[in-house]
Amino acid sequence: MTLSKLVIRNITRRRGRFVFTLMGITIGIASFVTFLSMGGSLKSEINRESAALGANLIVTPIGSCAYEQVSILTGEILPSNITMDEVAKIRAIRGLSAVPVLTEKSAVANKPVSVNGVDVAAMKAFKGWEIAKGAYFSGPDESAAVVGSAAAELFKLDTGSTITVRGESIPVKGVLKETGGRDDVTVFLPLPLAQRLYKASNKVSYLAVKVDNLALTDRYVEQIREATNLGVVSDKQMLKSVLSIVGTVNITLQMIASVSVLAAAFGIVNTMLTATYERKREIGILQALGATQRTIFTIFLLESGFYGIIGGATGVVLGLLVSITAAPYISQNAFTSFVKGSGVGAMIDLKTVVGSILFSAVVAILAGVYPAWRAARLSPVEAISYE
Amino acid sequence: MSDAIIRTENLEKSYQTGAVTTQALRGVTLEIKKGSFTCIVGPSGHGKSTLMHLLGGLDHPTKGSVFLEGVEIGSLDNSRLAQLRGEKIGFVFQFFNLLQGLTAKENVEVAAMLAGVPEKEQAERAMKLLAQVGLAEKADSKPSQLSGGQQQRVAIARALANDPAILLMDEPTGNLDSAAEAEVLEILRNLHAQGKTVVVVTHNNEIACKAEYVICVRDGQIQ
Repeated sequence: MTLSKLVIRNITRRRGRFVFTLMGITIGIASFVTFLSMGGSLKSEINRESAALGANLIVTPIGSCAYEQVSILTGEILPSNITMDEVAKIRAIRGLSAVPVLTEKSAVANKPVSVNGVDVAAMKAFKGWEIAKGAYFSGPDESAAVVGSAAAELFKLDTGSTITVRGESIPVKGVLKETGGRDDVTVFLPLPLAQRLYKASNKVSYLAVKVDNLALTDRYVEQIREATNLGVVSDKQMLKSVLSIVGTVNITLQMIASVSVLAAAFGIVNTMLTATYERKREIGILQALGATQRTIFTIFLLESGFYGIIGGATGVVLGLLVSITAAPYISQNAFTSFVKGSGVGAMIDLKTVVGSILFSAVVAILAGVYPAWRAARLSPVEAISYE
Repeated sequence: MSDAIIRTENLEKSYQTGAVTTQALRGVTLEIKKGSFTCIVGPSGHGKSTLMHLLGGLDHPTKGSVFLEGVEIGSLDNSRLAQLRGEKIGFVFQFFNLLQGLTAKENVEVAAMLAGVPEKEQAERAMKLLAQVGLAEKADSKPSQLSGGQQQRVAIARALANDPAILLMDEPTGNLDSAAEAEVLEILRNLHAQGKTVVVVTHNNEIACKAEYVICVRDGQIQ
């Protein structure tokens, strides 16, 4: 016999109470893990998308806020308020290459898909795209589509198949090689075609800008602002503001989840306090047999710690299952569409797993301190005489 | 006396319940010889159990001293007292006080564990002690599956798990029928014959008759 064996026997003796107390901590940790893993997944996706965008500067209509910046990364619909005249003015600035993008949405087989109207030649050079199947656009006036690799797979598109955008059948001309970014799940159209279909004649949503000399970035920003009445943000600023929004959302969600962990901790306090009353006589017996106050304290603390470790482990499993199961059903919006695009592997983070179990164990042990202290300070005579 | 395993000097114990002070023991001085079989008798509520608790280091005296093998234990702190109980004392109670969630063998093993017996040796010792009280075949039974007499025999085996210097029993047959009482008495006789110091608090005249020494406690004093 060891103290741990004794503890396990004590806990499992009252199975109903054990299960319900465990459920409290399991649900608390599961919600914590769900939010944590989804949040972690969001952050890594944002970093990946930002890198995949490949731009040093983003030009958006003036007054655009962080939400629009998130939308650029997620492929959401953006207001198309930048005129082609403004595009031309920016492109006239020396030392930078700027590509206009019109971001819209369509649906294939009732599933939403991002549609980007792009300057075909400039965009290919800007992104360094390669073609996996078929061919790239031959010119800006072509009525065809080139689709990302994941979109081709998801919607079973291949060269020769067609997609319907705004009621018009567009042939798929080529499939891009995997880029690892949002481009994989996007349908690309030549800009004039997209502008016609979405009735955004002469308008684009934003411009992605690459500068030749990074040291002169501030000067380019000034030049763009002087030439047009548009907002300019650097990729780093954009990443920072997007991550800050996501971080705030994550912290809020984790705080909500922490409340449920806290509620579960009080469940443990309640269970353990009940145990000290119910097992008063047993405590007295152990004391008579030679158990010191420290031994009694340890037994009770181990019991609550056991709840924490088991509840933490089951909570982590449940939380990850919920994250993985729920992610594909999360509706597309600026904050959650990343999750939809991300793989399961991104969500299972060892740090989250270990951290959550440790968090659960620490909370449970802290919850057990008061009941353990109460149990340990019982007088042997009083405890053993307890009816 | 040099052969006293336990002795007390002017032992007093009082309890405070609100404004009321109850004097349970009023200056008890006694000696219990090593290897003896001693009974403490007396009417209910006159301080027998309190005396046993003090002799076994379960409680601190209000005044006076308790010496166990020459060491004054009344002033030891709780931790040291617990350690001393684990090493030198074996308790048996009227209501058996077995841990209900554990088997007979595990009950004995817990006592051995608390006495510092290594885990590997606990099972062997538990089986040996259960065999000694005639319950080897019930080793895997839970207390609820045992009769009162069998539970008390398990409690005796458990009290012996630390090979105690002294065995303190509080009404060990108080809750048993005649047959079970006879079995327990037989075990006590055997333990005494093996040289164990046995102290029994009892109302049972039959046990008292078999004791070498009888101490009568009345109104918190020895008569």
